[in-house]
Amino acid sequence: MERNIQRYGIINLLMLLLAAAGGYAVARYAGSLAGQVASLFAGLGALVALISWFQMRLEESERLEKLELDELARAKGSATLFEAGKGETFPAQRARLQFEKYFVPAFTFLLLIAQAGGALLLWRWLAKADAAVNPTRWMITAAFFAVCFLMLFILGRFSATIARLEDHRLLRPGASYTLLSAFLCAIAALGVAGVSVDFPRADLQIARGLCVLLGVISLETLFTLIFEIYRPRVKGKIGRPLYDSRLVGMLGQPEGLITTAAEVLDYQFGFKVSDTWFYRFFERNLTVLLLVQIGVFLLSSCFVLVDSGEQALLERFGRPVQGQEILGPGLHLKSPWPISRVYRYRTEQIQTVTVGFADDDKDEHASPVILWAVGHGKEDNFLVANRDHSPVEAKAGDRKAPPVSLLTVNIPIQFQVTNLVAWAYNHRDSSNLLQQIASREVVRQLVSADLNEIMSHGRLEAGARLRDRIQAATDAHKLGARILFVGLQGIHPPVKVAPEYTKVVAETQKKKAKILAAQAEAISTNAFAGARAFTTVNTAEAERQRLEVTAVARAAAFTNQLPAFNAAPSVYLQRAYFQTFARATEGARMYVLLTTNTEDVIEFDLKDSVLRDYGSLTVPAPPRR
Amino acid sequence: MKRNLLTFVIGGVLVVIFGLLLFSFQVRQTEVAVVTTFGKPTRNIDQPGFYWKLPWPIQKQVKFDQRIQTFEDKFTEDLTSDNNNLLTMVYVGWRISDAKLFFPKFAGGSVSAAERMLEGILRSAKSAVVGKHSLGDFVNADPNQLKFDAIENEIKAQVQAQLAANNCGLVVEFLGIKKLGLPDSVTQAVFERMTSERAVLVSKSQFEGEAEAQKIRSAAEREAARITSEAESQAIRIRGEGEAKAAELLPVFELNPGLANFDLRLKAIEQSLKEKSTLIFDQRTPPFDLFQGFATNRPSK
Repeated sequence: MERNIQRYGIINLLMLLLAAAGGYAVARYAGSLAGQVASLFAGLGALVALISWFQMRLEESERLEKLELDELARAKGSATLFEAGKGETFPAQRARLQFEKYFVPAFTFLLLIAQAGGALLLWRWLAKADAAVNPTRWMITAAFFAVCFLMLFILGRFSATIARLEDHRLLRPGASYTLLSAFLCAIAALGVAGVSVDFPRADLQIARGLCVLLGVISLETLFTLIFEIYRPRVKGKIGRPLYDSRLVGMLGQPEGLITTAAEVLDYQFGFKVSDTWFYRFFERNLTVLLLVQIGVFLLSSCFVLVDSGEQALLERFGRPVQGQEILGPGLHLKSPWPISRVYRYRTEQIQTVTVGFADDDKDEHASPVILWAVGHGKEDNFLVANRDHSPVEAKAGDRKAPPVSLLTVNIPIQFQVTNLVAWAYNHRDSSNLLQQIASREVVRQLVSADLNEIMSHGRLEAGARLRDRIQAATDAHKLGARILFVGLQGIHPPVKVAPEYTKVVAETQKKKAKILAAQAEAISTNAFAGARAFTTVNTAEAERQRLEVTAVARAAAFTNQLPAFNAAPSVYLQRAYFQTFARATEGARMYVLLTTNTEDVIEFDLKDSVLRDYGSLTVPAPPRR
Repeated sequence: MKRNLLTFVIGGVLVVIFGLLLFSFQVRQTEVAVVTTFGKPTRNIDQPGFYWKLPWPIQKQVKFDQRIQTFEDKFTEDLTSDNNNLLTMVYVGWRISDAKLFFPKFAGGSVSAAERMLEGILRSAKSAVVGKHSLGDFVNADPNQLKFDAIENEIKAQVQAQLAANNCGLVVEFLGIKKLGLPDSVTQAVFERMTSERAVLVSKSQFEGEAEAQKIRSAAEREAARITSEAESQAIRIRGEGEAKAAELLPVFELNPGLANFDLRLKAIEQSLKEKSTLIFDQRTPPFDLFQGFATNRPSK
């Protein structure tokens, strides 16, 4: 009996479309992430079913065309009818061939993009999405997906069985996707139900798992496309449709895993790989191998390898194991999972929490120079008491500036876990609590701090004081951590007022420069005054000496002149006069007037003759080349 | 036969695993749990360990973290008693004290629902306490006048009282002020005041520098004048001493005052003609009187 497989193809297509649209709407309604991802699978399945249905129609047209032409040929009794040109004679066949040659690879490529892109986008979306299934709508959602599972499963099984028994290769892709969608609907229903019972993240985790599955399927599609280029082609053998995923088929029909694997290998290598001894051994002992694998998994969970720098908490049935609460670095034995479990922590690692804004360290274009006046992170301003003004009573509704200042703060606090039991068991998020405690202590210190002191010479001391305070608070909260370092290097005025602070510093420097210049000038003035005083005194001293010596000399000379004068008074005087005259006028210009006419007026031009001197200068000759 | 045994083993393992999942659960050291029977809390488990239960949907276990959880509220604006707008953010350490009470109060034990309730109570208590204190109690240059601890304790006491009244199975262990701030408009005003303060300091530095320099210069000039005047006075004294000493020898010249005066005149002439001089003599001046009677360049009439 000839079945009309196109009808099954269209039913698969419609059911998948219904599951995709309905599943998406219901999943959105209930906030189920897994449901939304599962509906995407159904949507992709609908696409595949659509293409395979179209290909079925082409093949059916080709079959009818061939029948018609066979009929005609028998009626005419000649084969010349087909000799004009095959393409012109078999348009349906040509259409089918063109479809398989061009459209199917193009569609498979688009399918690959949809699968890979979908996996990537969904993964990103899931990273930001909240796992929040509406508690009042979970039952409707679970019921809808359960119904979908039932309908798709029955239809899928029926289609898959027909495809296998009657070898309808084009019915298989749609059937595989229908079965896979059925299972995914069941999983989505379980995820929603899991959220309602005890596993709040079940829905999210399932959605992530489905996302990974979609990625794996996209990889398979990619490899199928690549291998299609190199696959050995046997003439007359009809190929498997490119969009027919073996992985989807295997997941839809897990019992056919072995068959599918064998088919894949046979198809890819061009010979019966499934006849080899290794394959047969694998097929025979699969169950044992699976049991061994489970055994190995359980055995491996009995060993714990704690890395250096780490410590681990060992719990048996949820209780810390007496005497073995903390496992240090090395190899340890424990009961298998799920009896005993370990929780690792990096206790040796120096960890950091930051109070205030965080630097733009991740910004590659950030300047390597950090300046107060240039923003280098999202500012977080802290209040500081204003010591320049006493608190003022503000009037009601008055928005004048209160007696406080603001500081931008970026304080890294480095710490180490010293007591893992306290760190892990006392607080749900110890690191966050430490950050809160540190913020409180920073606020407390700043509200009464001297702004200038904390930004300059008191920074180191304030850092040490702050560290002690945070340590005390950490101990009081039994956090089991040691504060190693509190860095106040990131305290400065807000960017908006920072330039004014810089101006103050610049003016302070200028003030110092002016004072130093005046001091230098004062030193010079005093030094020259001292020198002048010294010169004055010494000149006076010299004059005194000269006076004294001259007086003595003159007295002595006078005493010696007296006998000579007494001996020849007039001659002595004349001689002395002429000797002195000759000596004194030696360098003088003298004019002796010998005129006897006393009535004449004689004019003297005593100006020095400068021109004559200049006129006597000779100009040197230019040098010869 | 062998294949049947294997199938039996695998089936057995699966049944055991499935059974354990259905009939048991573990509670960690960090957890407490409530077991509900047909939705009604029937067992409170506050010790870690392995426990049995009837399968879902008859019994269901709900686990909670019993450690202290930290929650911080929003940065909210309130008015202090001296009418300053102040933004505050506090953090609260809370834990579930009674899971059986906690579970039904918050939509099946939702921590986020509990935190929403806590936020409401906290905000109310915070506003009330902030309104009772002046800004100086929060920010003060004198550490002794700060009332941080008192404010925190007041907020905590109010929150605890409200939680006790609600009887919702959670307690607040600690509370701290995480952040203080000002509204944007006030922040701008503070920025302007800070800028003005700096401008005052800039002017102060500018004029102080000039004034200081001027002081130093005038002090130096005064000192220089003192040094110079002292030196000049000393020089006058020295010269006087020299003259006095020279005067001691004047009686020697009294032996022949005429000769002494003649000698002085000669010395004066010699001294005055040291520089380049132009002298005009007539023939009556000795020694040019020797030219008397010589023929001149112009015959006498």
